[in-house]
Amino acid sequence: MSVTAWVLVVISQLALVAGQIYLKRAMSRREQPGEASRGWIGLLVIGIATMTVWFLLWLGVMHQVELSKLMPLEGISPLLIVLGAALFLRERLNARGWAGVILTCVGVLLVSAS
Amino acid sequence: MHDQLHAPLPKPVPGLFWNPYLQIFLTVLLTAAAQILLKVGAEHSAGNDSVWSWLGLAELGTGMTWLGILAFVASFGGWLYALRFLPLGLAFALTNGVHIFVPLGSWLFLGEHISLLRGSGICVIIAGILLLAQSVAKAEERV
Repeated sequence: MSVTAWVLVVISQLALVAGQIYLKRAMSRREQPGEASRGWIGLLVIGIATMTVWFLLWLGVMHQVELSKLMPLEGISPLLIVLGAALFLRERLNARGWAGVILTCVGVLLVSAS
Repeated sequence: MHDQLHAPLPKPVPGLFWNPYLQIFLTVLLTAAAQILLKVGAEHSAGNDSVWSWLGLAELGTGMTWLGILAFVASFGGWLYALRFLPLGLAFALTNGVHIFVPLGSWLFLGEHISLLRGSGICVIIAGILLLAQSVAKAEERV
């Protein structure tokens, strides 16, 4: 993989995590009663814009690099999301939940290594 | 900024279709379909090495890519709905189910082979998703 491809992959993964956090913030705020729900559409727009950046970058990388080389990198995105959600949304997973996340990541790595 | 973060998650509308976990499942199926369509679309436009191809814009010329985008948009609706009721980390981890359905779909529609290693990876993902489901059941028991 070329340096350009690596840079695009890293930016796209960051965009994915940031985009998902904004989407979650938007949908949580939407559920607030009355005045407290104001601004959720703005958060949704930011989330969708960030996800669009992720989507175009990912599509471009997919065009240049074999899918089998990209899949392991995609495999770590759930871990990044769980960490991002813990950091920015104060979400907590129990031990079983963590084990489940790690197992699915290992499974994705196995699928992509084949 | 943190006002909304500590509110309890709301209860979804009753009825199977509105179950957020079913919506995640539909999101996973649509995303897998989208991935396969985008792969087919990308193969159609391979060989175009213009500057735009790095941004994925060269792919926009094929019908399969547009169908893939449509499937992505549809899956997005289910995803946003599920996010209203589920924590992001858990919901996103469940979408790993995509990696079960992409190889299965590639085998069915693109004639790709599922090796022993790939098959065992799929089993490990299923085990992980079952553990996640158990962790949810445990958490809901406590509420």
